[in-house]
Amino acid sequence: MMIKKIAVVGAGTMGQGIAQWFLQQKIQVELIDQNFDFSLKSAKTIETNLETLMTKGKLSASDVEVMKSSLKVIKLEDISVSTDLVIEAIIEDKKIKCDLFSKLESLLNSKTIIASNTSSFPITELAASLSSESRSRFLGLHFFNPATLMKLVEVISGTETNKELSYKLTEWFNSKGKVACQCSDAPGFIVNRVARNFYGESLRACGVYDEKRFFEIDSVMKNVGGFKMGPFELMDLIGIDVNLSVTESVYNAFFNEARFKPHRLQKEMVSSGRLGRKTKRGFYQYES
Amino acid sequence: MSLNILVVAEADHPFYELITKHYEVRGIEEAMASFDIYDYVIDCSQLRTQKKYYFIKELAHTTKAPVITDLSLCWGEWIYHNCPFVKGAISTLFYAPSKSLEFSIKDENDFQTKKVITDFYQSLNKEALYHQDLKLSFHYPRVISMIINEAYFSLEENLASKTAIDLAMKNGVSYPLGPFEWGEKIGLALIIELLRELREVTGEDRYKISHQLKLEAIKL
Repeated sequence: MMIKKIAVVGAGTMGQGIAQWFLQQKIQVELIDQNFDFSLKSAKTIETNLETLMTKGKLSASDVEVMKSSLKVIKLEDISVSTDLVIEAIIEDKKIKCDLFSKLESLLNSKTIIASNTSSFPITELAASLSSESRSRFLGLHFFNPATLMKLVEVISGTETNKELSYKLTEWFNSKGKVACQCSDAPGFIVNRVARNFYGESLRACGVYDEKRFFEIDSVMKNVGGFKMGPFELMDLIGIDVNLSVTESVYNAFFNEARFKPHRLQKEMVSSGRLGRKTKRGFYQYES
Repeated sequence: MSLNILVVAEADHPFYELITKHYEVRGIEEAMASFDIYDYVIDCSQLRTQKKYYFIKELAHTTKAPVITDLSLCWGEWIYHNCPFVKGAISTLFYAPSKSLEFSIKDENDFQTKKVITDFYQSLNKEALYHQDLKLSFHYPRVISMIINEAYFSLEENLASKTAIDLAMKNGVSYPLGPFEWGEKIGLALIIELLRELREVTGEDRYKISHQLKLEAIKL
């Protein structure tokens, strides 16, 4: 498989990280956002990041020049027809995503691979926004934040995705230093599903708001289990609202399966605005 | 003053060799048949709550010693409530990749029991991490068993291969081990025993066991 040119739609944290990772593979990247000024700002951040890597001796000056010249900020209407791969990394709103995929289909040639970085919507449902001929080249590519550092890419095949395409993309990512894992189109895919009870069971072990108990469980999971962060400090970092939203999404998608049931403490924290580090109060309190 | 301590452990205990280097060790049947008197008994058996209750009751009677017992698979609060001779609890049955193991003491001012446990853990090259107010179970075995159980549910639903799931958890969320690797190291039978205990005590369906996990764990 040859990938020479890609487009990333959505210049937020994930889109920016994905775009930078592809640039570091010396692949041409078109960065697109509905807010053009925002995509310019995002491109500037990428350039700064690349220069920082150069200062640290991780990239050469000539490589950085090549990467910077390979990045173009464009409007959606100007996307290159011959782009090999488009990755959508916009807001988690199904209708907005589906509208985008329909638009992309009308703008691109019939060989371009169309991928979504969704963490919550079934790939098969998103593929329904495309014509039946295009669904075989649609799949999920779920990157992890920060995309430049986290090696995992979940390669998700929908019901109509060409399995050979998924396999070749997996091989391609692995050849570029990522760890690509193929999975089927089930709620939460691999990580967001299997990791649910790192949080859910810890919340049940705690039961009620008890900062000492949060600390105890965090210490146990780090010092006994070898996890880098405990469940409560990690929820505070991710955002308790974000974590609850993922839990609810998986719980609903599995038709209220008890294993994924959210805990009332999560709901209570979100309802009272204690969302974690971003609000200075979560399971722990943070200095302002 | 050095204490006369008996450790009850079977040869399949994960720390068996280390324990035998430092302590007098007997299996369950051997310990039951003995009438020797000790200062402390450390019970590392894999029995679940009710069987454990009868075993340690007998053990305390014959040895005349306070008991520290492994409650990795048991309802800790119930044992504490019903077994006055149990002074502390340890959790050594589940393979742990890091430096510490959890322990609990019934009376937080019981410094002698605490010292016996910390010395025991030191002999296993582990640090002792205090678990205050033991309720349903120790934290680590419970949380890791649920993660591993979910990985097996994912496998039985053909979400991905074992290799892919292990790789994804290690590279996506920096787990020290993939859930299948972890399950192999702990022993799937122990995970099943704990999940059964949690389901029986709580009555909650969230602890139901993956068919695939049972399939792979139950060996004739």
